[in-house]
Amino acid sequence: MARPLQNSAHMLDRTDTPAALAPAAPAGHRLDMDGIRVRYGQATAVDGVTLSVEPGEILALLGPSGCGKTTLLRTVAGFIRPEAGRVLVDGAPIGHLPPGKRGVGIVFQSYALFPHMSAAENVAYGLEARGRPKAEVIRRVEAALAAVRMEGFAARRPRALSGGQQQRVALARALAIEPAILLLDEPFAALDRALRLDLQLEIKRIQRRFGVTAVLVTHDQDEAMSMADRMAVMRGGRVEQVDAPATVYDSPATPFVAGFVGTSNRLHGRVEAREGADYRVRLDVGASVILASPRGFAVGERVLLCARPEHLALRDATAETPESWPARLRISLPLGPALVHDVEAGATELKLHEARHGQPPAPGPVRVALLPTARPALFPAGDDA
Amino acid sequence: MHRLAPADRPLALLILALAVIALLVLVGPVLIVLLTSFTTSQALRFPPPGLTLRWYAELFDPVRSAQIHKAAGNSLLVAFCTAVLSTAMATGAALAIARSRAGWARLAEGAFLAPLVLPGIAFGLAALMFFSWLRQPPSFALLVMGHAMIAAPFALRTVGASAAGLDPALLESSASLGASPWRTFRRVVLPLIMPGVASGGFLAFISSLDNVPVSLFLSSAETDMLPIRLWGMMETSLDVRVAAASGVLVAVAFLLLLLMDRAVGLVRRMAG
Ligand SMILES: Nc1ncnc2c1ncn2[C@@H]1O[C@H](COP(=O)(O)OP(=O)(O)O)[C@@H](O)[C@H]1O
Ligand SMILES: [Mg+2]
Repeated sequence: MARPLQNSAHMLDRTDTPAALAPAAPAGHRLDMDGIRVRYGQATAVDGVTLSVEPGEILALLGPSGCGKTTLLRTVAGFIRPEAGRVLVDGAPIGHLPPGKRGVGIVFQSYALFPHMSAAENVAYGLEARGRPKAEVIRRVEAALAAVRMEGFAARRPRALSGGQQQRVALARALAIEPAILLLDEPFAALDRALRLDLQLEIKRIQRRFGVTAVLVTHDQDEAMSMADRMAVMRGGRVEQVDAPATVYDSPATPFVAGFVGTSNRLHGRVEAREGADYRVRLDVGASVILASPRGFAVGERVLLCARPEHLALRDATAETPESWPARLRISLPLGPALVHDVEAGATELKLHEARHGQPPAPGPVRVALLPTARPALFPAGDDA
Repeated sequence: MHRLAPADRPLALLILALAVIALLVLVGPVLIVLLTSFTTSQALRFPPPGLTLRWYAELFDPVRSAQIHKAAGNSLLVAFCTAVLSTAMATGAALAIARSRAGWARLAEGAFLAPLVLPGIAFGLAALMFFSWLRQPPSFALLVMGHAMIAAPFALRTVGASAAGLDPALLESSASLGASPWRTFRRVVLPLIMPGVASGGFLAFISSLDNVPVSLFLSSAETDMLPIRLWGMMETSLDVRVAAASGVLVAVAFLLLLLMDRAVGLVRRMAG
């Protein structure tokens, strides 16, 4: 196939329509998962998940390995028929449609490029399967490869491409059919850490330009943080929280989310008293702190405090205050402009994160205080699991 | 290569001895037949008193060896049809078995491989009785079917090895991109399992070409097969053309093997 160079960076077929000249992404499509349940034999892999993905946004499915992310993604793609629940695109159920008719593009973790075809043939595959005219196929393949900056590699077989390049071709192949929904299953898992950030930015850029609604599966919280508009944190087949990444970090809905997204110091205690809208909590480590919480607690109730490393600060061992508690500094690691302290208070291990001023302090007895400005999450002790 | 521990040395010697014996048993007779086919004597005899190409000339003489030629034609046609039929069956079975983790798949694989251990004579007799019970006279189609039963396990082995290496995500990719199952088979599955299919076809072809027991029971006057004809010639007169024909068969099989190995690495595939 002759493949003349193309200068235009515009997307696929949209080059010849006036709308393509506008920088704004075209309106995307909406994806709804409604009460989806999937079982493998006796084991429930996805247990009643209801999620909405807004047009043009990236939703990350984040959770530990085995929590059902891939299963949920494959249900949307049409490879798995759910036992209950519906998948809807723009409000219309697509459960009865085969994978190829759902308007869903998927990038597999292994990329799943056809090894006996060149990059261009891989990208052309979906268009040919849809019976598009030859001229259109050639034009769109060029545009899709250009969009992922792989136009110089059109004739190469996957084996002759690096992991990152294979991933771009896989992305071009999925996007060439102009899917309403783009599904990405751990697309960076097989890549070097150093390469990931570049590709994450690149995929986000391409996703924005295509205006395609995307679902990104990952077990890497940093990846979800950097790429997603919103993230759904999953555990054991259920969704524990759906929010913007910053909201998930600042206000985790459950102790599990607090521990899975970011680092969390767990401190047990008991509600001593109500003080206006706030609670006075007596911590088991030996301190009494005042906390705000959107949740209601009874006086005397056992609670679990999840404090971020930056919510805590080191104090001098002699500076005894009711809001601080005695501890022992095991080691301080200078991390560029910051310091990470490894501290133990009785049986409780704590991680602290502070700005560094001068040399790190020497190990020994210290006190740990909850910063007055910190808003750590407070849960009923029964939520701890 | 790493050194053998002293304790392993007797074992290594034993293996070497067995290998040499196997080679002698395999290669020796072939060499003897090849030498005999060049004999100047009137009947099969070893060692040959002198060497000549006379028997090959006679073997290729269209008039004097007309019956051999007809049998050879039959054999080649049956072998070709057997190769196509058994490879097609084995491909379908191998793909279904590779895709399924269920118990029935293991059972089906066992059933397919059973002819490997079933004595050919028993199968040939059983097939003959079965077909006559169905009141089917011996025919070309039945002969091919019989051969295909025997040849299918070879193809199943090689296609199965290829199919097992097929990444299921490729099939899902194809389906997700809008390809029909048939298109997926043609554009993705078949090209990727082609080495296994080709070597399976080759093995089926060869196994049919020199099959005696099934042909013995299922061939008829019209479907006279080369090995049966050669056997008949041996019985009635120690005709040296039998040795010449064997020489041709060995040479053809060897050339095909070289070709196939070039194309798909058959030897590696069999070893794996
Ligand atoms: N084909 C399958 N058969 C049986 N169990 C499966 C299958 N696929 C996944 N599972 C199980 O379902 C659960 C969810 O798996 P998966 O969706 O792959 O999780 P994740 O992608 O979050 O790691 C796991 O416990 C896994 O062992
Ligand atoms: Mg997974």
